Amino acid sequence: MLNARIRSRIFQVAAGIAAVSPLLVLLFVAGVLVMDAWPAFKFQGFSFFTGITWNMGNMYASNPIVHNGVEGAPGATFGILPFIVGTIGSSLIAMMIAVPISLLSAFALVYKIPPRYARWISSAVELLAGIPSVVFGLWGMVVLAPIVANQIGPWLTHFGKVLPFLAGPVGSGFGLLTSGIVLAVMVIPIITATSRDLIAQVPKLPIEGAQALGMTTFESIRHITFPMVRRGVIGAIILGWGRALGETMAVLMVSGNATNYLPTNLYSPISTMASTVAALLDGALTDFSKLSIHALALIAVTLLVITMITNLLARLLVQLGRRDVGTEA
Amino acid sequence: MNNFKKVSLMTISTLIGASALGASVSIVPAFAKSHVAHRSASVVKLQETGSTLLFPLFQLWVPAYKKVAPSVQITPSGTGSGTGIQQASDGTVQIGASDAYMSAAQLQTTPGILNIPLAISAQQVMYHIPGVSKKVHLKLTGNILAQIYTGKIRYWNDPQIAKLNKGVKLPHNAIVPIHRQDASGDTFLFTQFLTDTNANWSQTVQYGTSVSWPSVPGALGAQGNQGVVQTAVNTPNSVAYVGISWLDQGLQHGLGEAMLQNKAGKFLLPNNNTIKSAAGAMIGKTPKDERISLIYAPGKNSYPIINYEYAIVNQKQANPATANAVKKLLDWAISPSGGNKAVFMQKVHFLPLPASIQPLSKAQINKIHG
Repeated sequence: MLNARIRSRIFQVAAGIAAVSPLLVLLFVAGVLVMDAWPAFKFQGFSFFTGITWNMGNMYASNPIVHNGVEGAPGATFGILPFIVGTIGSSLIAMMIAVPISLLSAFALVYKIPPRYARWISSAVELLAGIPSVVFGLWGMVVLAPIVANQIGPWLTHFGKVLPFLAGPVGSGFGLLTSGIVLAVMVIPIITATSRDLIAQVPKLPIEGAQALGMTTFESIRHITFPMVRRGVIGAIILGWGRALGETMAVLMVSGNATNYLPTNLYSPISTMASTVAALLDGALTDFSKLSIHALALIAVTLLVITMITNLLARLLVQLGRRDVGTEA
Repeated sequence: MNNFKKVSLMTISTLIGASALGASVSIVPAFAKSHVAHRSASVVKLQETGSTLLFPLFQLWVPAYKKVAPSVQITPSGTGSGTGIQQASDGTVQIGASDAYMSAAQLQTTPGILNIPLAISAQQVMYHIPGVSKKVHLKLTGNILAQIYTGKIRYWNDPQIAKLNKGVKLPHNAIVPIHRQDASGDTFLFTQFLTDTNANWSQTVQYGTSVSWPSVPGALGAQGNQGVVQTAVNTPNSVAYVGISWLDQGLQHGLGEAMLQNKAGKFLLPNNNTIKSAAGAMIGKTPKDERISLIYAPGKNSYPIINYEYAIVNQKQANPATANAVKKLLDWAISPSGGNKAVFMQKVHFLPLPASIQPLSKAQINKIHG
């Protein structure tokens, strides 16, 4: 038998390693990615983020070009603005659909639906979160895309006079709107389940007090529950947004994989950063100059940075919000 | 309240997972290598991956070859020619399948890789135009297709298309060109055809397994031949290039098949005769390493898009047993009484390897060693 002191020591060390491991993994991944991406940045410079042409170059030529000291296939030029726009655009549409639905269903699950039904609905929501993304992709491709092309899209074009971005042509159903809807369906369970758990933790007493004072359910949620869970809910939304930004397979199957052009309306084909990395990896691996692989790594770095920025922005928002309210415990 | 902190930490790690794709470039092949070529007792396991055009044939071959060599286990998969070339080069798989031969520059970075033709295949252009009868075969030229894929021809009733197809009522609908998003031998064949038939294309886009597609609003990308067929079926007014082993699939789902103009100016569908005629005109030029384009063959009856289907194999295999198994499999595959038998070829509309090319492929197979 080990004595208690040694056991406690082992526990401390193990817990310490486990605690710092996320940070180490983050540093390791970021470090490897940045090193891998550096030649592409040297080759392309800042036009990498503003260019709209992605060209891995002629891989059947045998005369590599050298630009800024980096070798590439002839014709190689890397601009990822369409991928950035596609990633942010599709995830924002997803959040616009998912956030209201998720929050309403989370409040309903805790306050309105009788517990014996709520239990069933809750497990359905959790089950939804566990479905592999390729299944959502297949559903989006086979079922949703034709519906968007034939029903949802044509209906939305009626609002085109007010919001030109909604005007046609609707096209094939593969594109921004379909990607946004598929992402929303994938994100709803995450936001719903997390916020439901938060809302369930709100003490009953203040709510009962509010109702005793004659507040309606909406008023008590608005004035009692929501201020108490706001920060957590924003965290849940950011978690969902992160999923939407990084989702690969499902988007790959429904985005239409637009190359070299920016979306002109809500129905345009797009590409996202994550789906582009997945789709172009095999082609990049056959690039004799290896520059295309570095360029894909640079996309990954960009995605990482964008995610961190959204995270920091959200933290900032929360802090500003706290200063304004000032009444939260 | 540190719920938020927890949540945001989870967010970061989730996203790193997604972004780590880039980093896994170097990790995945190394990991896969360790357990692939492994053999237990006398069973030899062979992995094949690559071309989705060759994949249906491999699926026919595997059960048949099981009877020839019960101790060899073959796992085929259709992932795209780019993956086939890559994974055969780095040793992840024993056999890579590709509709495209490797470039000289690629071969320099991976010496010892063989490009061995197994059969002759073709590619057709398919379309989905509402209102055009399935019995009609639209006539198209490489020049017109190049203009469609560069966005110069935008509508199906364009005068250039209408002129060739008198009597067909073409709608004034915007054309949706579909291309392969993954690195693909089909893209290689199609872009070679466009390079040979359109001067602008030959100077700008050129050819490869993965090219930078000109910006055409609404143009779509799809994964694999199955993805292309599915996308074309879903998308009215689309046009796509599809490997011939997927022809039946496309026709069953109501896609139209175009007649393409050959070098002599005639419009032809791909079939045994027109593919054979094109092969006859080109294969005489096949060099020892068998890397040659068969696109746009001369001859009145030659279909313009045909090619060798390649097995991409490393001369040096992990061990003698694996090398032997690969050699035997490839020998069987190209043999007229084995994998090149008519029962297999007809199902995927391929042509067997011509007798004059057999010795060249055999000589390459003999270079494989453990």
